Amino acid sequence: MLALKMRRYLSPILWIAIAALGAAAFAVLALTRGENVSAVWILAAGVASYVIAYRFYARFLALRVFALDDHRATPAERFNNGRDFVPTNKWVLFGHHFAAIAGAGPLIGPMLAAQFGFLPGTLWLIAGVVVGGAVQDFTILFASMRRDGKSLGQMAKEEINSVAGMAAMIAILAIMIILLAVLALVVVNALKASPWGLFIIACTIPIALLMGWWMRNIRPGRVLEASAIGIALLLAALVAGRWVSLDPVWSRWFTWSGTGLSWAMIVYGFFASVLPVWLLLSPRDYLSTFLKIGTVLTLAVAIVLTLPPIRMPALTQFVDGTGPVFAGKVFPFAFITIACGAISGFHALVASGTTPKMVTRESETRLLGYGGMLMESFVGLMAVIAAATLEPGVYFAMNVPAGTIGPTAESAARVIGQWGFTLHPGQMEALARQMGEATLLSRTGGAPSLAVGMASILGRVVKGSGLALWYHFAIMFEALFILTTVDAGTRVGRFMLQELGGHVWRPFGQVSWYPSILISSALIVAGWGYFLYQGVVDPLGGINSLWPLFGIANQLLAAVALCVGTTILIKMGKQRYAWTTVVPLVWLVIVTLTAGWQKVFAAEPRLGFLSHARLVAQGAGNPNAARLIFNDRLDAALALIFMAVVVVVIAASAREWWLVLSKRKAPAVNEAPFVETAYATGD
Amino acid sequence: MRLETELQSCRVAELQWREGGSAQRLLRRFLRAVRQVVGAPDYERYLEHHTACHAGRAPLSPREYYADFVRWRFGGGGPTRCC
Repeated sequence: MLALKMRRYLSPILWIAIAALGAAAFAVLALTRGENVSAVWILAAGVASYVIAYRFYARFLALRVFALDDHRATPAERFNNGRDFVPTNKWVLFGHHFAAIAGAGPLIGPMLAAQFGFLPGTLWLIAGVVVGGAVQDFTILFASMRRDGKSLGQMAKEEINSVAGMAAMIAILAIMIILLAVLALVVVNALKASPWGLFIIACTIPIALLMGWWMRNIRPGRVLEASAIGIALLLAALVAGRWVSLDPVWSRWFTWSGTGLSWAMIVYGFFASVLPVWLLLSPRDYLSTFLKIGTVLTLAVAIVLTLPPIRMPALTQFVDGTGPVFAGKVFPFAFITIACGAISGFHALVASGTTPKMVTRESETRLLGYGGMLMESFVGLMAVIAAATLEPGVYFAMNVPAGTIGPTAESAARVIGQWGFTLHPGQMEALARQMGEATLLSRTGGAPSLAVGMASILGRVVKGSGLALWYHFAIMFEALFILTTVDAGTRVGRFMLQELGGHVWRPFGQVSWYPSILISSALIVAGWGYFLYQGVVDPLGGINSLWPLFGIANQLLAAVALCVGTTILIKMGKQRYAWTTVVPLVWLVIVTLTAGWQKVFAAEPRLGFLSHARLVAQGAGNPNAARLIFNDRLDAALALIFMAVVVVVIAASAREWWLVLSKRKAPAVNEAPFVETAYATGD
Repeated sequence: MRLETELQSCRVAELQWREGGSAQRLLRRFLRAVRQVVGAPDYERYLEHHTACHAGRAPLSPREYYADFVRWRFGGGGPTRCC
């Protein structure tokens, strides 16, 4: 009795304390100027917000909006087949779901957005996930679970109409091409002129082949065993890489130019799509999943243990749009650039993929959908911290293309000095030597600077462990899981193309017919390979134009997902709560259409594709003029296609909402019928 | 291909996670959880399901099971991997 009474008073006190801590952390971050703030405040602001959002907002969504019902049998229970439909422990499934949604995006995006200072990224990662990203993931997971695990495309078709379904399909294919190109570009920039890094990544191919052979022929199905061997060999390659980088002959073998690497990636991507999955794709997937979970956990522990000081200012002068890493003002481009860690359309594909088929009880979707995305945002905050621990001068020297800061440490120091940041010419050389690289100037794409940040954090924990080893460990971790995405994405794209092609010419649709496999794989590889190659030879580094395109595409896919979510809420008779998905939807549409419009039509050549094309056309004597102009127009066309797709989906959804709300159409929900669960329910 | 015919609803009465036990059992449970997190095949689990739901027929061999599993999980291009 007394204990109960105590709890009644203690609980509000606890929540008020958490809220006060969060508010204090935000105040410190926003108000401190010119002195070093500890990373602990970024963590405190984030964690306090996550905990409060999970306790109150996610609970509201679960109880009031979705009315999750543990008496209702989930698809995993009803169709339990021991394979795709399997009731799974919620923490295990949380790990599985997180491994599927986490990738390079939440790490790279905040790193690039750090050109505005650490504050915009921190605020958007926290606010965006609470109101937008986690709501999207939760809603789609819930909707898919109630529909026996249907995919986003199927739901768009059934709940809105077939035009929206088709638009979603095209959007997914186009986004895939841009995603693969930009991720491949990040890897190329990380491995360019880096014999150590390239050696490790080259080793992953024979390691994967060995694992594949082991799991198929030596010890069938022993994935854990093969992965343990693979990880041991990978770490051996990491250590051996130092020797390769120091040996004059070997290091020459593994020193490749950007163009050479991009051709290698294209050839590799083609083979990965054509070869049997057991040989290359599946072993690499397991290897990268283990490495991903392990590294994220290690980094989290290291940050909490070291609490590194922040050297980056809260805001830089580049919020006005003059930023050298990518063009555009803080609105809308900070939101576009950060993308994945705050709200990611791609998660809608995962949340309507394997996860909904493995949920044991409906109430667990709160942890999986909402909680999983909070975790992703936390990974984004770790990237902010890694970026903010770098000296601003070093950050810009690494992330600004050579076209802006010039080819030497002296020219870089001069330009960066004009921006008001200090950089001694010798500093970059010393840092490069420390990290075991030839140079760290203009290593754009975010991965190398993330690796430097991670190395300095991890190097603090394990004293005397050598920064170079940690740097290349971080590069290996990023490159490995990006390459896994490239493998799998090329294959997924190939299947989509075969399906689409099958409508035109039937034999093409046979997924295992070899001519069709070869042609469709070649087309997909050519698609992303083209953008990759153009990005590599672009004097402004390519990341400049490709990352915003990727961000716009990703956020537009999120808008499509929120349209589906809103439609479902309205059809469920929950229009009172439709604001939960409409608010983030409206915000995303404003941000992405503004960004898309500016990328296409802005008068400033640095920002607008078309004005850049005009500038190139006016300038005489540029031998690459025709190619540059074509690429600008191609990028502009892509941005316009993305925008058109989202306008079509929104129009189709709005029509559906109006029909239902004005009672012209009965609000039919396409949910699977209610079946009472056989499991014990909590109450 | 044989496994396809087995894909029909089957209620497994008890969740595996209810059972407690010795250190060895704990390790087995842990490894089973790790397999599920990374989406790895689990022959033991398959046998349990097979015994509970399709007791009349002979189960697949480990090799057949693995080949079938890989075809299923990675056949469509692999699990969706995010950016």
